[in-house]
Amino acid sequence: MTPQLAFLIGLFIVVVALVLTRKQWAPAVLHAVPSVWRIAKITVAEARRRRVIQAVVILVVLILISMTFFSYLSPQEQSRMLISGGLAAITVFGILLAIFIAAFLIPQELEDRTVYAILAKPVRRFEFVLGKYVGALIILAAIVVTMTVVLVGVLLLQDSLVQDLPDSAFNPNIGGVVFAAVMSYFSIAVLTALIVLISTVASTTMTIISAFIIWAVGSLQSTINDLAAHAEIPVTKALLTIVYIVAPKLENFDFRNEVSNFAPISYMAAWNPLLQGIGYVVVVMILASIFFNDRQV
Amino acid sequence: MASGETVLQIEGLTKVYRSIFTPAGVKAVDDLDLSVRRGETYSIVGPNGSGKTTTLKILLGLIFPTAGTASIFGKGIADLSVREQIGFLPEDAYLYDVFNGEELLDFYAGLFGFSKRRRRELTDELLSLVGMQANRKIPFRECSKGMRQRLALAQALVNDPELLILDEPTSGLDPAGRHQMTRLILELKRRGKTILLCSHFLAEVEEVCDRVGIMYRGRLVAEGTLAELAGMPTEIVITTSGLGGDKAKELAGHAAVLGVEDGTVRMGRESEGELWSVLEEIRRAGGAILEVSRPRPSLQDVFVRAIRQDTPEEAQ
Amino acid sequence: MGSRKSRNLLLGMLMVGILLMLIPVQDAIHTSRPQVFDPDRKMKRVSAISIGPTPAVIAALGGFRTVAADLLWLKAERVWDGGSWWAMLPILDAVTQLDPQFVLAWQVYGWHAAYNLHAESETIVDKRYWLATGVSILERAVEANPDSWEMIFELGWTLYDRAHEPWRASEYFYKADQFPGAKSYITRLYYRCFEGVMDFDRLFPALEYAKSHHNDPTVSDDVQHQVIVNRDYDWWMQHKDDPMEHRRQIVIENTKRAERSVPFYLYPDDPYWDVCPICGLPSPKGSDVCSVCSAPLKALSERAGRPSSESAASTGDSP
Repeated sequence: MTPQLAFLIGLFIVVVALVLTRKQWAPAVLHAVPSVWRIAKITVAEARRRRVIQAVVILVVLILISMTFFSYLSPQEQSRMLISGGLAAITVFGILLAIFIAAFLIPQELEDRTVYAILAKPVRRFEFVLGKYVGALIILAAIVVTMTVVLVGVLLLQDSLVQDLPDSAFNPNIGGVVFAAVMSYFSIAVLTALIVLISTVASTTMTIISAFIIWAVGSLQSTINDLAAHAEIPVTKALLTIVYIVAPKLENFDFRNEVSNFAPISYMAAWNPLLQGIGYVVVVMILASIFFNDRQV
Repeated sequence: MASGETVLQIEGLTKVYRSIFTPAGVKAVDDLDLSVRRGETYSIVGPNGSGKTTTLKILLGLIFPTAGTASIFGKGIADLSVREQIGFLPEDAYLYDVFNGEELLDFYAGLFGFSKRRRRELTDELLSLVGMQANRKIPFRECSKGMRQRLALAQALVNDPELLILDEPTSGLDPAGRHQMTRLILELKRRGKTILLCSHFLAEVEEVCDRVGIMYRGRLVAEGTLAELAGMPTEIVITTSGLGGDKAKELAGHAAVLGVEDGTVRMGRESEGELWSVLEEIRRAGGAILEVSRPRPSLQDVFVRAIRQDTPEEAQ
Repeated sequence: MGSRKSRNLLLGMLMVGILLMLIPVQDAIHTSRPQVFDPDRKMKRVSAISIGPTPAVIAALGGFRTVAADLLWLKAERVWDGGSWWAMLPILDAVTQLDPQFVLAWQVYGWHAAYNLHAESETIVDKRYWLATGVSILERAVEANPDSWEMIFELGWTLYDRAHEPWRASEYFYKADQFPGAKSYITRLYYRCFEGVMDFDRLFPALEYAKSHHNDPTVSDDVQHQVIVNRDYDWWMQHKDDPMEHRRQIVIENTKRAERSVPFYLYPDDPYWDVCPICGLPSPKGSDVCSVCSAPLKALSERAGRPSSESAASTGDSP
């Protein structure tokens, strides 16, 4: 099946499904927006009062500020180190915070039974799941923005302090850094959706363990694809292909290498991963809603 | 005062929990039939594990029945619009502990789509009603158990519901707290709310409820008003003082007297015609008559009797 | 949706439909970033020096390859300062495998093999080996970074300066010169390749190309693109059929270069001119005295024991 054919078949199926359910989804969407928003807001407000998240963000900010000890390197090397290390810190801590925030979102509510007071109100289950996810996205956006702003500040500061040499200039590559951080955020958003999905059926501990495994698999997507393409045993090939299809495509959003090497990036390169990510998140959220709808609380 | 309209109708409701350890399943609710009329306060009582909370959770869509139906205001429980008219106080209610009462009520009111102004008004009204005005800024985690239960009741009232479902509202409260909560429930009853209440504090149930359903092992083993359940008084009790040991023994030999103990003389209801002669005997024996009464069996007694009837071998 | 089953079925259809629609999107991502996603490219990449992390380890680092490369790069700096030149090799190999887009690392790696290890080698065989290794490293670097003019230039310069292969070098200089960000000296180096070996058939087209393609704003128009003895294209067009004049100018240039301690372009022996050992400037072959400083040329050359100009002319050293 060619990609174009797959797209057309998929489009046909989506249209048929939407047409068959047109009487349900329109009012459901209208009702959902304010409910989802309110649950998202309370999720954000609750996270803001949790000291742990604030402490981790402060820690990362301190790490970023302290990454200025490469004075024996040439200016270009310094800028490369700072950019690659800073973006790595943003990604790693972003992912860690995403895992620990998302893994506790729904299971904690079930454990504390705070979910009863909400689901007894006219709030659909999928609105609750979606609201929690949107709330997590807002929290993580604030965290990534904070860390990115600090990294940009550090780069600009270093740029002003470091003396350029004739053949080596400090290149803060601010545009590239911001772009890479934004794309990193989108990969975190995709991973968070999966964590929320798992948390609708698993305990907090299982969710956290699964999240790390998914992060690793998602980061190895191109390797899995390579292995699947070159596998000789049919069972292995089928298994790897399934893993590749199901796993999140986190490498799509990874532009850190290009940015660290000051390679030119077409910002249009963001559209495809974004579309892919949105589609994936929609599928995952639908699945999460189905699971949570059938979950007995 | 209850009107004739049925607000809640449960028919044949069954819930079976299955697991790999219990493939046959455990029946938490077994073929339950129950109805609640508008304005009435109905209480489901039963020991722990009798299926009370399971029934309430089914009504609220938190868990799903294996069989049977339930309708609220004539609509199926899966209908989301039903929840616009319900308020639920869960057992050991836990709300977001980082927020204070004001913030919590604002959030829950928001889920009904109320405007900011209306939310503010509701918050003030409800905090006054439950007596939490002065403590509105205290975070939930710093509130006492009584304060938490009151806040939880307030969130159940945020939409001025027609039907209130309260699960163990006085659980974990000290006597003062229980008294406060009971007063609140009576006030809501006075305002015409229909209340479905689950409890195993029989004293409070006696105080507030119009009708009682006794659940045991998932089944409704008895149902009715307190009077219906308790039945007619079976004894006449005369409280006396100053009856000496010999005189008491002598009195116990009277044909109409069932027994004398610690100055309390019991007569069977069928010997009511002999009452005056027994009173005369007491006076002649030198005793003072303090009280004559026809006590009804307590709900506790009814409860125990109903369970005994249901499971004679375990009734002890 | 009546029952839960039918609702779930329709939602399932929606999910499958969306997943199918995402297939071409993923394909588009793969084709737009071949250095990350092209499986053939990955599988072809084999290190000439088989030391360093396996592809599995590289893959396992995922997006942190760059950070790992940076840490190893810092280690390379420390090893360099410690003087362990041979230990640099596996480290630089690892760095370039981890981050093939790290141009500076490739430059240092190729330069280290072709220059430092070449110089450190004691036998001709070893020298040739390290030079060839350096060149092959840079060829791999260019393959991994086809859009980097610095990388292409580095290969060209190594071929020109170290391997003395000006024709091969000229191809790379020309390629590098096509990039918008390329420096102006690359244009000059392109034609200097032919100037050094006096390949006039290629030199003049290269000069024409340089004039039309690239102007260095820091150099005045008078001296732009002047080759061999600072004569420009127009002058060479005028004198291209006068080999004696070519040679005379070359000798003059060589003298100037000697004054600046810059290596000669050509051998100082010339069929048309004698170079004066006193002033370094040319006089016609067979002259007894220097036409510039009047030094006794014949006497000085006999004293030095050098072959006479007649025997040099008879060896057939043609322009």
